[in-house]
Amino acid sequence: MKHVIGRLGYMLIVLIVSSIAVFYAIRLSGGDATAAALPGSATEEFRQEFRASIGLDRPIYLQYFAYISKVLRGDPGRSITNNASLIEMLKKHGKNSLILGGAAFALVFLIGIPLGILASLRRNSWADHGIMSFSVIGMAIPNFWLALLAVWLFASTFQLLPAAGCCSPKQLILPAIVLAFEGIALTVRMTRSAMIENQNNDFVRTLRAGGLSEWRVTGKHVLRNALIPIISLAGLRIGQIVGYALIVEQIFSWPGIGQALVTAVLRRDYPVAQFFSLILVVLVVLGNWLADTGYTLANPRLRRSK
Amino acid sequence: MILNKLNTPENTTSTHAVAWEKQLIAYEESLRANPWQKQLQSITHNKMLLTGVVLGLIVLGLAILGPVFYDADYARQSLRNAHKPPLFEGYLLGTDGYGRDMAIRLFIGFRVSLLVAAAVTALSLFIGVILGMIGGYLGGSTDRVVRSSTDFIWGFPLILVAVLLVGGLGEGLFPVIMAVGIVNVAAITRVVRGEVVGLKEKEFVEAARAAGVSSYRIMWRHLLPNVLAPALIMASYLIAVAIIAEAALSFIGLGAQPPLPSLGKMIADGRGFLRINHWEATIPGIGIVVLVLAVSMIGDGLRDHFDPRLRHERGRKKNK
Repeated sequence: MKHVIGRLGYMLIVLIVSSIAVFYAIRLSGGDATAAALPGSATEEFRQEFRASIGLDRPIYLQYFAYISKVLRGDPGRSITNNASLIEMLKKHGKNSLILGGAAFALVFLIGIPLGILASLRRNSWADHGIMSFSVIGMAIPNFWLALLAVWLFASTFQLLPAAGCCSPKQLILPAIVLAFEGIALTVRMTRSAMIENQNNDFVRTLRAGGLSEWRVTGKHVLRNALIPIISLAGLRIGQIVGYALIVEQIFSWPGIGQALVTAVLRRDYPVAQFFSLILVVLVVLGNWLADTGYTLANPRLRRSK
Repeated sequence: MILNKLNTPENTTSTHAVAWEKQLIAYEESLRANPWQKQLQSITHNKMLLTGVVLGLIVLGLAILGPVFYDADYARQSLRNAHKPPLFEGYLLGTDGYGRDMAIRLFIGFRVSLLVAAAVTALSLFIGVILGMIGGYLGGSTDRVVRSSTDFIWGFPLILVAVLLVGGLGEGLFPVIMAVGIVNVAAITRVVRGEVVGLKEKEFVEAARAAGVSSYRIMWRHLLPNVLAPALIMASYLIAVAIIAEAALSFIGLGAQPPLPSLGKMIADGRGFLRINHWEATIPGIGIVVLVLAVSMIGDGLRDHFDPRLRHERGRKKNK
């Protein structure tokens, strides 16, 4: 318990430090924010006034505190390119991202774990070799290239699925699979090796010797022990999905947070960039913390040693 | 590798002792006779490493010599000749949507990928090895700072860090190198620090310390040679990471800026024309897969080559 609380404190520190880092990184740009918001003909005087109106003339640490307190009060400001409310943007893009990310997250486990179990049960068979080579490919192929191949095959050639867009279930299939691909490959490997490792445990041998059916040994005892690390480390997949969503959403024109963030960075729309990167960073930190806590809870040995 | 098999306790007992000692001496002598030949032989025996090296040399050759022998301008546009397939009127690999020569763009794209990977890896090796050794050897609060900052960076997905830095520094290859470099420094630092923490309890380090050798000299003369192998193996993985990251960032428009070709940017440019001329996207795509495959095969092969322990373990797992 003490350890869990300790990790909670550590997570809060990481959150604060990373929010400062995000704030400074985006502000580092030195690029003139007024260039994006105002027409080229605006006078210097007007630009000054504009800067003062959004607080850009104050020292940067004051800007940070002002910014964070505003975000915490639920008023992160507006986009400087189209004046859209960031809360409204978050609602719209956040929903889309949750759908895509959630689907990918579910796919990682719904496909990864059964395939891993299958490979471990039929070890060294063609099924095992097939699944494992799929997993090797899945970890080696860059996902934007995979996305392109998927579009080429399923959208251009066979015209089964739409190439891009949002948000019908049909349009969700390709991006969700591409986003989940590496996670699936990883989960397959982890499941397979964990199953194999546990099958060689002494207690499993004892169960078999005691006459328990193979089905119950594998299905109940081995599987349960093998899944503990995989489920408890599920939080790590959140970070992975957040990172790849930045690319996959862009490829499939899926209007989620990742796409909005990349567009904002390209357009120097720093309120949007700042707010959305803050959201993603918080998500990643939470995911890491979940994995950390889950892993500690699942491993009593770790709990005691700290 | 014979050494490793011979040193296992089952083999070193009683009657076999003389036999294996003889074998060992013969093996060592053969090594002394021509160490390079032995090295080369075991490299060529390692099929994965060999394939990786061959693929890597092909890509390297195309990157360096391609633009020398294949005379074309990567930025010259010709709308009349847009969207042409390979081998069209003197365009070796066809043209892209602006009628630019795909072959020369592929060669230059290889150059960009390799240069970014080299810069990132050199940067992260240099800083990572120093930080890891300092943190691991000095311990205490220095170590705490090193460890918590690397853990902090390591916690975030590479692409997110890169997008943030690009947001700060603006688009281009430099921010990409910085971003990937920072994350890779964390990776190398973690590996080196872990090694050093184990090494500094070893007798040879304690002996050096007892003899009054300065910390700086211990790190430089005694620890560095020992951490270099794991650091280099880690770095060989990170090369692939750097190549993919650069391509991905260029793909979404944050990396190499036009007209400079980058494999990722070329795929992005070509993906709209899959039905007209798919080569515009598939040529750079194949290029990147070959490049990444070559680099990771070299990495895996090197690890097997220099760390027989791992190979041994892997073999054991398979036998289970």
